[in-house]
Amino acid sequence: MTERIEALQEIVQRNQVWPRMAAKWGVENPVPPWKTSLDGMCDALDHAACDENIPNFKERRDEEDALSATVYADLPYPENQLVSLAHSLVARGIIDEAELKQRLTAIRERLQA
Amino acid sequence: MTDHDHNHDRTVKPMVDEITDFEVLEIALRELCIEKGVFTAEDHRRMTEFAEQIGPTPAAHLVAKAWLDPEFRTLALAEPMTASKEVGVDWMEPTGFGTPSDFTAFQILADTPTLHNVIVCALCSCYPRPILGNSPEWYRTPNYRRRLVRWPRQVLAEFGLYLPDEISIHVQDSNQKHRFMVMPMQPEATEGWTEDQLVEIITRDCLIGVALPKAGITTNVITDTRPAIHPGAAG
Repeated sequence: MTERIEALQEIVQRNQVWPRMAAKWGVENPVPPWKTSLDGMCDALDHAACDENIPNFKERRDEEDALSATVYADLPYPENQLVSLAHSLVARGIIDEAELKQRLTAIRERLQA
Repeated sequence: MTDHDHNHDRTVKPMVDEITDFEVLEIALRELCIEKGVFTAEDHRRMTEFAEQIGPTPAAHLVAKAWLDPEFRTLALAEPMTASKEVGVDWMEPTGFGTPSDFTAFQILADTPTLHNVIVCALCSCYPRPILGNSPEWYRTPNYRRRLVRWPRQVLAEFGLYLPDEISIHVQDSNQKHRFMVMPMQPEATEGWTEDQLVEIITRDCLIGVALPKAGITTNVITDTRPAIHPGAAG
């Protein structure tokens, strides 16, 4: 589970964490705008947890704690929650790493178009 | 027209005008999960709306009502789910579309002059979200969860809450089926206050049990996340 995932390591290295971005742009919100959508995704996943390989609530939180203390120890919250969730979904084979990488590029292109 | 002929209050607040990797990652995970049928876009929308609208205000009103009305206090302690409905929270249907992952039996723990209650989830981070909103970051950390059950007095002191030895501390562990909140005692110098005045000082921290309500204090403690330190090993 703690094996590094290249696509996520690149995100960690670029370090666009909310405290840094908020300071750069003079924004006061304590949490990033995607936080509630992440909360919604975690709740939706917990509902889906009866399916094979999808982590249940406790597994998801245990994996988040373990990853946040090791591979993603340098990230603040909630970035560590988001990246740990991505890591869990890739490590469990729910999302393929290549597919994730491709999707990250496509979404960035879409948002910057 | 003068240079200052506009309303400063209406000035648009600054925003992050840059697309971050984390924003992109959140969208990517969501889209891929929806495409793979893990959950639907509708599931996600409803859960996100739930996460956006919850907060500690209903719990604060419940406690304020209990302070002002002894009958309501009795109801709150005996039938907490019925009392919750009076502040707009239906534990059986908190989202209005079926229950999210955290249902539960709900219980309110009343402080007394010799007993202080504080809640935790030692196993993960179960929290009474329908009535208290999303948990603060520190509540989710293994540091708080593991240390509070062992050294409650020391951990509460880290929040600035120093309790005398004659007050016992009851640490209530939550789990996936049982959720709790604390009903602190009404503080001095608040007699004659209205419900809305009282609600101002019944902060989230007071309802978790890491602070006590006090006239004039209306904000939560700001606590940095810190690594676990064994109190016995220090020094």
